[in-house]
Amino acid sequence: MKNEPSFDHRPDPELGAALRAALEPKDDHAAFAARVMAQYERALGRASVATLDVLASWFRPGIAAAVAALILGFLFGRTMLTPAPASFDTAMAPLEGPGLDALVTSQDPPDASVVFSSLVDQR
Amino acid sequence: MGSSEDDKGLVTKTLGGDRDAFGVLVERYAAQARRVARAVLGDPDDADDAAQDGFLSALVKLAQYDTRRPFGPWLMRIVANAATDRRRRRNVRQAEPLDAALVGGGPRPDAVAMRSELSARLRTALGELPERRRMAVVLFDVEGYSHAEIAGILGIPEGTARSEVFHARRRLRTLLADWKEQVR
Repeated sequence: MKNEPSFDHRPDPELGAALRAALEPKDDHAAFAARVMAQYERALGRASVATLDVLASWFRPGIAAAVAALILGFLFGRTMLTPAPASFDTAMAPLEGPGLDALVTSQDPPDASVVFSSLVDQR
Repeated sequence: MGSSEDDKGLVTKTLGGDRDAFGVLVERYAAQARRVARAVLGDPDDADDAAQDGFLSALVKLAQYDTRRPFGPWLMRIVANAATDRRRRRNVRQAEPLDAALVGGGPRPDAVAMRSELSARLRTALGELPERRRMAVVLFDVEGYSHAEIAGILGIPEGTARSEVFHARRRLRTLLADWKEQVR
């Protein structure tokens, strides 16, 4: 045993040997190794079961997420298939037709049927 | 501690389903794992249970092992964690009770009994150290790991590992010196 160099980088052989003797098990290591190996298949089996358990725990949330995705997809698709509203130009187009002059030059208030028929004609 | 290359080969074979390869790894590290677990738990039977848990846990997690790193510290980390978990679960007191004959004088023992007495005293002294400290000194002075490797095994900074070894040694060396003085 060495006298302290406190932060010695080398193991202390005497202390190490004494500790090793103190911690050494009574029986041989081969028996211990055999005991561990007797659990080999069971440990791997348990690991597989644990993996399946994890997958199973994901099943319900997975189904729910898939259903939600389907609904969202359906709604999105339906929105995309609905005809787009008329453009600004289309909406203003009737104003450029013949009915426009009648509306602008008339001294009388416009008749609604004129306006509507003008719109219908333009379409 | 076994050659790293051999360990890697054995790990690869084990991952490929070679049961015997894992058996070689177990035989190679059995002594070390049992001693490290005993440093944590004190009781040899508890220690063997923990060491076994450690090996089987390592088997299950083997795919996570980075083969660019040495196998020993990776395995010892798992074993140390298994021992710590078991100690927490059972809430056992680490120190083994001192044999009454060792405490109170008695007839001068023969050489074998003297060694046995020293071992008992060391185990008791280890049991009185904080858990991390006794693991550090066993990993360093018994198993030959470097401070950096011990830091990795225990999940602490290297400077802390160094300090833990130092404090544990100071206590154990005092005990060893006293014992030598006594048997002179």
